[in-house]
Amino acid sequence: MTLIDPVDRSQAEEQGLRSRLDSFTGLGDESATFIRILARAPGYAEALWDAMAEALFEGNVDHALKEIIRIQLANKAEDPYFSSLRSKKALESGLTEERIAAGQGDFLNDTQFTDAEKWALDYAYRMYRTPETVDAAFYDEGKQLWSEAQIMEIGGLVAIHYGLQTFMRTLQP
Amino acid sequence: MQFEPESIDAAFYDRLRAHYTEEEIVELGAFIGFNVGYHTFFRTLDFYPMFSPEGVLVSQEESRRIYGDTPGSHLRDEVQDALAETPHEAAS
Repeated sequence: MTLIDPVDRSQAEEQGLRSRLDSFTGLGDESATFIRILARAPGYAEALWDAMAEALFEGNVDHALKEIIRIQLANKAEDPYFSSLRSKKALESGLTEERIAAGQGDFLNDTQFTDAEKWALDYAYRMYRTPETVDAAFYDEGKQLWSEAQIMEIGGLVAIHYGLQTFMRTLQP
Repeated sequence: MQFEPESIDAAFYDRLRAHYTEEEIVELGAFIGFNVGYHTFFRTLDFYPMFSPEGVLVSQEESRRIYGDTPGSHLRDEVQDALAETPHEAAS
């Protein structure tokens, strides 16, 4: 139950959202609740889910790493809905609950993560806790490990998923 | 939403429904969430305002000279005036 009722699936499909409903099941919610809530505002489900999906599933940064980051941010937002979802694609690639949990913990001292992965996890961790520490020196460090395109890909993922998880958090009693 | 998300509960949504349709509430919520996410990210990129205090479009280099080490919107005064009236005061 959410504080704004999702539209019925048939109503969402009438709005032309079938492909988005199907795409959203890639996160493990077969009922695509989030899409059906966004469908209350015409045009929002298409625009926002397309951006979220592009950031999470496409691009040149490992999807499994982005999935760990997405879950880390959902936990920061205290959003039980997105915290509980898991990307089927990431799980199929071998992502485990142990590795997801490691990405929420002392990842900087965890040898299972590369230096590039540690920087990306730290980038997400700092963004909504201590954004003032995400400064030129921090970005310079990131540029030694990632291309600028990849850094923007991670930053865009962080921004859109955290922002909409913050909204979703308020919809759950 | 950014600072006290726990206070946005069923009673809060009921208050919103007195003023807005559910379509408008979802529109507002998604808009606010999107901006919470992106503006924090943009802040880290060291963007400078695109406009001088007089509202003239300027380059990032010129803007940096104008605003120094503490960039802010050219609408800073208007924003500060709006923030001076808290949401709770506005609702009363």
